[in-house]
Amino acid sequence: MPSMEYDDSKPSWADQVEEEGDEGTLPPPKEVIKGNIKTTTDYKIDEEEGKKFKIVRTFKIETRKASKAVARRKNWKKFGTSEFDSPGPNVATTTVSDDVYMTFLSSKEDLNATDQEEDPMNKLKGQKIVSCRICKDPTKPPGSEPEPAQPSLGSKTGKYVPPSLRDGGTRRGESMQPNRRADDNATIRVTNLSEDTRETDLQELFRPFGSISRIYLAKDKNTGQSKGFAFISFHRREDAARAIAGVSGFGYDHLILNVEWAKPSNN
Amino acid sequence: MKPILLQGHERSITQIKYNREGDLLFSVAKDTVTNVWYSVNGERLGTYNGHTGAVWCVDCDWDTKNVLTGSADNSCRLWDCQTGKQLALLQTNSAVRTCGFDFSGNIISFSTDKQMGYQCFLNFFDLRDPQQIEDNQPYLSLPCNDHKITSAVWGPLGEFVISGHENGEFNQFSAKSGEILKTVKEHTKQINDIQTSVDLTMFVSASKDNSAKLFDSATLDHIKTFKTERPVNSAAISPIMDHVVMGGGQEAMEVTTTSTRIGKFEARFFHAAYEEEFGRVKGHFGPINCVAFHPDGKSYSSGGEDGYVRIHYFDPHYFDFELEA
Repeated sequence: MPSMEYDDSKPSWADQVEEEGDEGTLPPPKEVIKGNIKTTTDYKIDEEEGKKFKIVRTFKIETRKASKAVARRKNWKKFGTSEFDSPGPNVATTTVSDDVYMTFLSSKEDLNATDQEEDPMNKLKGQKIVSCRICKDPTKPPGSEPEPAQPSLGSKTGKYVPPSLRDGGTRRGESMQPNRRADDNATIRVTNLSEDTRETDLQELFRPFGSISRIYLAKDKNTGQSKGFAFISFHRREDAARAIAGVSGFGYDHLILNVEWAKPSNN
Repeated sequence: MKPILLQGHERSITQIKYNREGDLLFSVAKDTVTNVWYSVNGERLGTYNGHTGAVWCVDCDWDTKNVLTGSADNSCRLWDCQTGKQLALLQTNSAVRTCGFDFSGNIISFSTDKQMGYQCFLNFFDLRDPQQIEDNQPYLSLPCNDHKITSAVWGPLGEFVISGHENGEFNQFSAKSGEILKTVKEHTKQINDIQTSVDLTMFVSASKDNSAKLFDSATLDHIKTFKTERPVNSAAISPIMDHVVMGGGQEAMEVTTTSTRIGKFEARFFHAAYEEEFGRVKGHFGPINCVAFHPDGKSYSSGGEDGYVRIHYFDPHYFDFELEA
């Protein structure tokens, strides 16, 4: 029989339901500072639907050493349009944008190659948009003497070349998404991983089944520890299937792994 | 790296500048306000309200007391950095294109555009003499008859101003006698931006002729050239690495006809000695109009035609990277 002692700091789930039940009143906003993590909890009622929202925001507090002048300036009062802003960045003017990476270029050749690849207008430059209807020769003005037929694209021997073998046949159009669907098909989901799992461990574990295109290990934002699940994308679906058969139920780091096909992502 | 996006302007950014310690970042745009931000977290400290036209230039003195802005409303204004109060209003006949404090913070210079029948002038005021401000009488006003000044910075020791002109020429104007000390013409088209190294011994110019060049400030000797295939709007020298960052892209009027992927809207990093590009950072939706390095070299900011300023803190990878020579 569990003890019936009541712990004030942690209300039981039954009490919580009751609390949430009474309409109109909002719990006061809370601010908890734990180490260098500040957590603020705000409550808000959506006017239209009458739903109650709990907004939890976590901030990392950083202490930096700075010169006296800089430290003094940090305490300046805001002025101008920002005069009434609360301390801290205002979300209306300051946001953190998506991750970007510096792409490093190792050599000049690479650079030029990517340039040409990237610019679809370059491909068009070589072609003439208006060409003679009779002789199909773009270098001749329309209506001039027809010459022996010469295909403008492909080989010089005059043989028919299927589109897939022509110049640029392997290149994808700009608007095409990278082959995402195929990627999804060869992706497996691994759950019940231990917290200490790292990407390299997963790579070691799944490499024997075939070449891996991507490993995504869900990690906690603050601690960097694994959240206990990961997605592994293989290049081939067969490899993925073998990996499921091989690793599902496998004991790894005192836990039994659960491996299955990943559901296609929504986006 | 996760850039901090600053949305304080409604129109394209014209210039951004850090103060000496780099804790504050000033930004001006073609709208009328000047914003100042804490560079560490992107928090806006305040705005300097008062201009009635596009603001072309901003500068801050060495102890972050005063801020100077020049605008197309035909005025150059001096502000109190801490409170945002306007300290002085200097009326001109045409738009103020460039402005700057000398190293001491006592002398200010600004140049005006050649427009509406008025000449391009380079004006010098001594802030220690309130009479000059009151009468709006510069102690030195130098006409530039041939080609207007499009960019200017103070040289070392407050001796002269280095100006870049619309024909690609550089001049050194003495701040005392007003004479032209040196002239070189290394660019073929308009010079969009000049920025000095942290010790003022070198400067990098960004030109519409698709290149940026590194010069010795005192002798105007041409040292290095960084070539691209698009006009360069701005370039800055890293204070700790042998790196130069450049921002550019095609002209604003051509932006709508090209996709962002091929628009070359990236910030491009060149090795200063090898003159070779080694890295790029994407992010803006239009050409980059100005770039600036934080004085500690660990972050840089860029302002674009899209009206955003982005503060980038470099990943550790950037500091480890070595160019294969």
